[in-house]
Amino acid sequence: MFKQIKDLAGGEFYLIASLLIFMIFFIMVGIYLIKMNKSHITEMSNLPFNEPQADRYEEV
Amino acid sequence: MQLEKFTYDNKIVRDFGIATIVWGIIGMLVGLLVATQLFSPGMNLGNQYTTFGRIRPLHTNAVIFAFVGNAIFMGVYYSLQRLLKARMFSTVLSKIHFWGWQLIIVSAVITLPLGITSSHEYAELEWPIDIAITLIWVVFGINMFGTIIKRRERHLYVAIWFYIATFVTIAVLHIVNSFQLPISFLKSYYVFAGVQDALVQWWYGHNAVAFFLTTPYLGMMYYFLPKMANRPVYSYKLSILHFWSLIFIYIWAGPHHLLYTSLPGWAQSLGVAFSIMLIAPSWGGMINGLLTLRGAWDKVREDVTLKFMVVALTAYGMATFEGPMLSLKQINGVAHFTDWIVAHVHVGALGWNGFLTFGILYWLIPRIYKTELFSKKLASFHFWIGTLGILFYAIPMYWAGFTQGLMWKEFTDEGLLKYANFLTTTLQIIPMHILRSIGGALYLIGAIAMTYNLAKTMLKGKLVANEAAEAMALEKVITHEDPADKKWHRVLERKPMKFMVLSMIVILIGGMVEMMPTFTIESNVPTIASVKPYTPLELEGRDLYIKEGCVNCHSQTIRPFRSETERYGEYSKAGEFVYDHPFLWGSKRTGPDLHRIGGKYSNAWHYNHMLDPTSMSPGSIMPPYPWLITQKLDTSMTEAKIRAMQTLGVPYRENFDAVAQAKLKEQAETIAADLKQNNIDVKSDREIIALIAYLQRMGTDIKANKTTIPSNQ
Repeated sequence: MFKQIKDLAGGEFYLIASLLIFMIFFIMVGIYLIKMNKSHITEMSNLPFNEPQADRYEEV
Repeated sequence: MQLEKFTYDNKIVRDFGIATIVWGIIGMLVGLLVATQLFSPGMNLGNQYTTFGRIRPLHTNAVIFAFVGNAIFMGVYYSLQRLLKARMFSTVLSKIHFWGWQLIIVSAVITLPLGITSSHEYAELEWPIDIAITLIWVVFGINMFGTIIKRRERHLYVAIWFYIATFVTIAVLHIVNSFQLPISFLKSYYVFAGVQDALVQWWYGHNAVAFFLTTPYLGMMYYFLPKMANRPVYSYKLSILHFWSLIFIYIWAGPHHLLYTSLPGWAQSLGVAFSIMLIAPSWGGMINGLLTLRGAWDKVREDVTLKFMVVALTAYGMATFEGPMLSLKQINGVAHFTDWIVAHVHVGALGWNGFLTFGILYWLIPRIYKTELFSKKLASFHFWIGTLGILFYAIPMYWAGFTQGLMWKEFTDEGLLKYANFLTTTLQIIPMHILRSIGGALYLIGAIAMTYNLAKTMLKGKLVANEAAEAMALEKVITHEDPADKKWHRVLERKPMKFMVLSMIVILIGGMVEMMPTFTIESNVPTIASVKPYTPLELEGRDLYIKEGCVNCHSQTIRPFRSETERYGEYSKAGEFVYDHPFLWGSKRTGPDLHRIGGKYSNAWHYNHMLDPTSMSPGSIMPPYPWLITQKLDTSMTEAKIRAMQTLGVPYRENFDAVAQAKLKEQAETIAADLKQNNIDVKSDREIIALIAYLQRMGTDIKANKTTIPSNQ
């Protein structure tokens, strides 16, 4: 099954470089997530519920 | 800080909602029509404007860009205003956006049945419409970013990241896949040819799925699902991880549409590797959605909107599991070109896009009309008949896909193809196609029930066109910044333009790694000396092939399998397509591959076959094309076409355009004379002659014996 991604007839560079770029990117996002502030997360995930409305169905 | 009063624009949300419903019904009706055409050729209605080849793109464009497109704008315009605590930037821009988008759809409804098409799947519309799409997309962008800039909420919620990524990526995809050289108001040629054109098209095609059918819907899911369930999203961290991984990985997956073709092997492998990786961020989104309902599953039993959302997420999970599996070469070898793919995309379209749209409509319309839903029972009926419709659609299509895919590959003990006649495999799956159209009809009945239900709801209530709200104004300058706030994502959440640029860089990486070597390194597309440009008549015939949408049912790329080389002939080489502006490899084999059709049959066979396919292939489901015999070939643009090809690098000799008409006539008369030998009296200036010329040329450049069988043999 993995032959199709292993045997690249000289094209290995593209695959290794691409996967490496992704790994670096993924690790960066991962580090950020680990360092994230808990209260900020709660604040962010509650954003859809902070809808300040004068009077819900009032038409202007 | 000052408390500001403002209003939300609900009218534009309502307008996009109505457009979603109207175009949804039309798109599904056309879908039902094309489905019946596949078992009853009479449903082509005997005229050129309603044949499968012209109507199938109308169905796909209508459901993708009209139904889903309007639903995206409805969802974005509703949620964006509320998440940013601001009215849309400009009511005028909103109106231009709405009416501009509807006009584009109407222009598609007119041009596609007329055969005005560029032939690139899901990008069939010709260049003036492409420009209109670009302009309206920019209007949408200005309106969205304008709203973001004047917002009263400092942070951008995850749904808005998805909207921004959608905006920027669709813009990039649409522009690159529209590099065309116009030769008249409604005709153009793609700048790229063959393999390169195929790579651009499927980079676009796959990411139209990703960034039109997926990311905006994920954004909508992240807003509407928590609202419906009245609880925040399960994991905000997961949403960040899955957002960045999804947009990074998706863009690389395009080449999985071109496995076993003449696309360079390394590009195919990249497509496979990233497609498999894609399962992780896709399921991240699905799991995040479903787990948002933790502890609230009792609500799902009672609330029909949540029922729609659960099925939508489940369908998304199934489709995004199946997608990576279909990218594995072993599975792709059987599944590609069959109904399996049709089943796969419809699980996504009917389940994910359709059901999520329905869920949002049922939730949103009563709210902006300040009333309750007219009938919960009817909505529940819609849910069940829609679910049944999906099952009746998908299961027969999977069955048909497995059956046909395996039949194409089956050999007898003697080493011969068991089903050498392609038609046998087509006729085998007719019952499945009948069942599929029943599934489609059930789904449509559900959508009609929803239309009635929502219309009644609208009549019952009154639209709150401008909904009053108030919020604190956002402070422009932050003087006492918390050091923790300097973290890059928090900064990005506050700087939408930087966010957009970063998303653009992320989505550009994949495309660039795959495209640049394919375009610049010559060894990736080896040329073949015997491959010559098309003659003027063949070029005109090729344009007729494009106009009639033959590519919707016939591929032009033979994969290097014994089952295919036995059936069709030598497998296709990259060098054979270097003058193909555009490539016409196709993605579905409702009929056989045509890459080596040249010289296989006589001109008379083709003539009779186009006039009445069943005369040559009894039981064929191909529609007849009698108008090709009566209509005169339009040669008014032949010279311009030759010059355009020269501009694109096709090596016609200098001043060839001056003799093009004479060459065209000469070749046409040879074909007409050959047909006459078989008692077929047809004028040499008819369309059928050009089409026969093209069909007879196809794939013959690398054949040892290039002569066509004379018609009297």
